[in-house]
Amino acid sequence: MAKPAKKLVIITEKILLKKVAQIIEESGATGYTVMETGGKGSRNVRSSGQPNVSDTTANIKFEVLTPDRIMAEKIADQVAVQFFLDYAGIIYICDAEVLYAHSFCGPEGC
Amino acid sequence: MDFLSLFLMDFVKQLQSPTLSFLIGGMVVAALGSQLQIPEAIVKIIVFMLLTKIGLTGGIAIRNSNLTEMILPAAFSGLVGILIVFIARFTLAKLPRVKTVDALATGGLFGAVSGSTMAAALTLLEERNIPYEAWAGALYPFMDIPALVTAIVVANLYLNSKKSSELAYSSMQESFSNKPVMAGDYSAQQSYPSSRQEYLSLKQGSANHRVKIWPIVQESLQGPALSAMMLGLALGLFANPESVYKGFYEPAFRGLLSILMLVMGMEAWSRVGELRKVAQWYVVYSVVAPFVHGLIAFGLGMVAHYATGFSLGGVVVLAVIAASSSDISGPPTLRAGIPSANPSAYIGASTAIGTPIAIGFCIPFFLGLAQAISGG
Repeated sequence: MAKPAKKLVIITEKILLKKVAQIIEESGATGYTVMETGGKGSRNVRSSGQPNVSDTTANIKFEVLTPDRIMAEKIADQVAVQFFLDYAGIIYICDAEVLYAHSFCGPEGC
Repeated sequence: MDFLSLFLMDFVKQLQSPTLSFLIGGMVVAALGSQLQIPEAIVKIIVFMLLTKIGLTGGIAIRNSNLTEMILPAAFSGLVGILIVFIARFTLAKLPRVKTVDALATGGLFGAVSGSTMAAALTLLEERNIPYEAWAGALYPFMDIPALVTAIVVANLYLNSKKSSELAYSSMQESFSNKPVMAGDYSAQQSYPSSRQEYLSLKQGSANHRVKIWPIVQESLQGPALSAMMLGLALGLFANPESVYKGFYEPAFRGLLSILMLVMGMEAWSRVGELRKVAQWYVVYSVVAPFVHGLIAFGLGMVAHYATGFSLGGVVVLAVIAASSSDISGPPTLRAGIPSANPSAYIGASTAIGTPIAIGFCIPFFLGLAQAISGG
């Protein structure tokens, strides 16, 4: 029924929105979800509602579903190598099962 | 003495002016830990409205003025923008515990222009009935862009030269240690990097990229502040926006400016903590630099004043935009252009100290200076 997939989560600085999106698209993933977030990490509290006059402190969270681990790792490696020396960010991966989707339904799933 | 008393009187008056009192109010509110929040979307709209208004004013004025007068002040603006970065390169960067890239980014930010500081100066000039060229606000991009471009280019040149010297050193070391290489090992050595560590080391070696200037210019032009101002300029120049200008942008200007000042005050306070983590020299720099930059621009403005009749009000505007440090469009551009610079250092220096100093001290200082010159 449900099709197994990997959920890749990238939390990083909002300023990287377009660049990370481009990497994801080039990797062949069919889509992604982006959220604005805040929180605390090794680079201190970032964007938790304080008014600010520039966008430098806001965080974003990408969620990408990929059919396999290889594609997810490819995205993660590229993002980490290009940005994580200089920008705040964390990437993790989870198992997921896709129940309903247009592009994810293979021969055996949904 | 005359000048000093003028300045002090001005300063007290300025403290009570809406601009500065809201700024201080914002700092106090933030310091008391108040939960007061101004939504980010409103701040964005305010920035848009202020800069559109400045653009409209300039555009409408340019229609009936002689643009050749603008050439000299615009050239001076660019010169000051570039000069400020080099001042930072040869003063701030030489100080102990200050990294060169951080210093360059700070210089770029202080060379770049703050739209809100400029708006505050224009408001004050109007209150005092000091005439200035309406296109003076249009000097903004002529200083903003050269400063950011210079900072990013110089920083990347510096990083590249540092990297290549390191690389030369490490490859020399390697050639000593790796001498006996078998021909068969070759294919294994050239394989695709599999671990994250290998990826990282790969990046360090090959990242000696050349800096392209045009994307930086493009990015600063596409920034929210500059595009709003350019739009206003174009609309003022080619359309007839007088009715909305008089009915909407002009009356709302000061009220919105006061809200923006409140936000800047809150932001300044929240950044002080960050600044404490970096070297104390940033504090010294961000107190002294606005005056030094402003004085250089004031001197050049006076040259234009005697050469082409640039008004004293215009000289003040030029000095204030040189003294101001960007807080809206500059930081993201620098963050993208010099990623390895520490944003706590340059944004902290600019927002926590540079902007309050520029608004609170530099504007009355240069106004007083101009009044003393015109009076004497």
